[in-house]
Amino acid sequence: MKELVKTQMLTKEYHGDVCVNNLNLCVAEGRIYGFLGPNGAGKSTTLKMLLGLTHPTRGEMDIFGKRFTPKTKKEILRNIGSLIESPSYYGHLTAQENLRIYQTMLDLPKQNIDEVLRIVRLDKQQHKRVSAYSLGMKQRLGLASALLSFPKLLILDEPTNGLDPAGIQEMRELIRSLPRQYGMTVVVSSHLLSEIDQMAEDVGIIANGNLKYQGPLHRLHEMDRTKTLEEIFLDLTGKDVSL
Amino acid sequence: MIRLMRCEFYKTRRRYLVLTALAITAVGLVWATYGDYDGPSGAFLLENGWMSFLYQLPLLNAIFYPLLSMVIASRLADVEHKGGALKQLCAMEEKGRLYDAKLLYGLAIVLLSVILGWAGLIVFGLFRGFGGTLPMGLYLLFLLFTLLPTIAVYLIQHTISLCVKNQAVAFFTGIIGTFAGLFSMFLPQFPLLRRCLPWGYYGTLQFVGLFGWTKETRYDQAYFAIMEMDWPFFCVLVIASVLLYLAGRWLFCRKEC
Repeated sequence: MKELVKTQMLTKEYHGDVCVNNLNLCVAEGRIYGFLGPNGAGKSTTLKMLLGLTHPTRGEMDIFGKRFTPKTKKEILRNIGSLIESPSYYGHLTAQENLRIYQTMLDLPKQNIDEVLRIVRLDKQQHKRVSAYSLGMKQRLGLASALLSFPKLLILDEPTNGLDPAGIQEMRELIRSLPRQYGMTVVVSSHLLSEIDQMAEDVGIIANGNLKYQGPLHRLHEMDRTKTLEEIFLDLTGKDVSL
Repeated sequence: MIRLMRCEFYKTRRRYLVLTALAITAVGLVWATYGDYDGPSGAFLLENGWMSFLYQLPLLNAIFYPLLSMVIASRLADVEHKGGALKQLCAMEEKGRLYDAKLLYGLAIVLLSVILGWAGLIVFGLFRGFGGTLPMGLYLLFLLFTLLPTIAVYLIQHTISLCVKNQAVAFFTGIIGTFAGLFSMFLPQFPLLRRCLPWGYYGTLQFVGLFGWTKETRYDQAYFAIMEMDWPFFCVLVIASVLLYLAGRWLFCRKEC
């Protein structure tokens, strides 16, 4: 299977503290890759590096078979949609006006706006100011802006953060449908094992900046049949199951 | 770049940015044109109206245009900070181009306001019947000497507003700078003070002086005269503006979203 994202010895240090350490990520095309790790493990930093929002201290990244450099950055980013940490929005504008900004910026067809609003089910509230939206609606708007260009690669950092159970379920189903319906590859990060378990096909587990496991999720299940998935995860991330 | 500037236009919907700029310019214009034209010194002011404006306006410009720059730059940056939109934009477009687009859009609003204010003064002078013909050459020079310090001040405000999320920092810098620039105009014995601050250049580049005015004789023996123009420091400000732009762009590009 073709590798869409490949990093080699990717490292990020902040003032001498290693945040991400020699990471060798491998994301296959058309799959949902769950990036799992406890809070502060280095997930967001890694995803920010993939988007060029943070410069790696060392290491290389290849995305769509191209080396990520200042020269290729723009071309690569054109094919990536992202939702990092909290959704980005302009509160004084409506959802449609928000998306219009990104549509103009990326020079995309106008009909993409209506289409993504329909996908995230915000089409009925598209003329309402975003400041009046609930957190779940803002999160869906964030996903809509990530989907706007129907990118090859979608990077979602904790997309269910702050959502209620119904919102989580809805977001999960939506993410699960993306590779099938639009041929997208999705990298989704979370600190919740159950969430990744229900969404991802491949998984990468990171703890203290180190990649502890990478491979198909079913193989993780098969690692030790006497243990639950949660116990395996805690063993890998070095935490006591009793905690 | 045009596409990015169009985005800036969309972002500022319902922010009344142009209206704010026009309001500040209008207040400045009202203040500048307020004069005792019907009083005892009215005849002198009407006769020397054109030169009187060139003498008085740098002081008002040193208040209004830094204020305008501060407000516009801050409001433009604030729309990004409030919704955490910068990280989304930086994942779509080069940071340097984002910096440039916002700078050009904000500067366009500020500089158009400056030009409108300048044109308003001329219209007022013609309407009020100022003596002699309009010294267009001097007025164009005056416009240039107003635009350049405004660009330099705007560059500082733009960079601070974009790089520091807390807009109080940009406001604090703007207000301190404006006061420092204003007071430097009252301290001609310390010319270096006004030449060190971009806010002080409205005074540094002032080229019309009032001579012969005393408390006793008032305007009886007073006259306006053109002073030596400070071209070397004009060049210093041009170079400083280029450096401010490069430094600001570098700082913004270096900042992690």
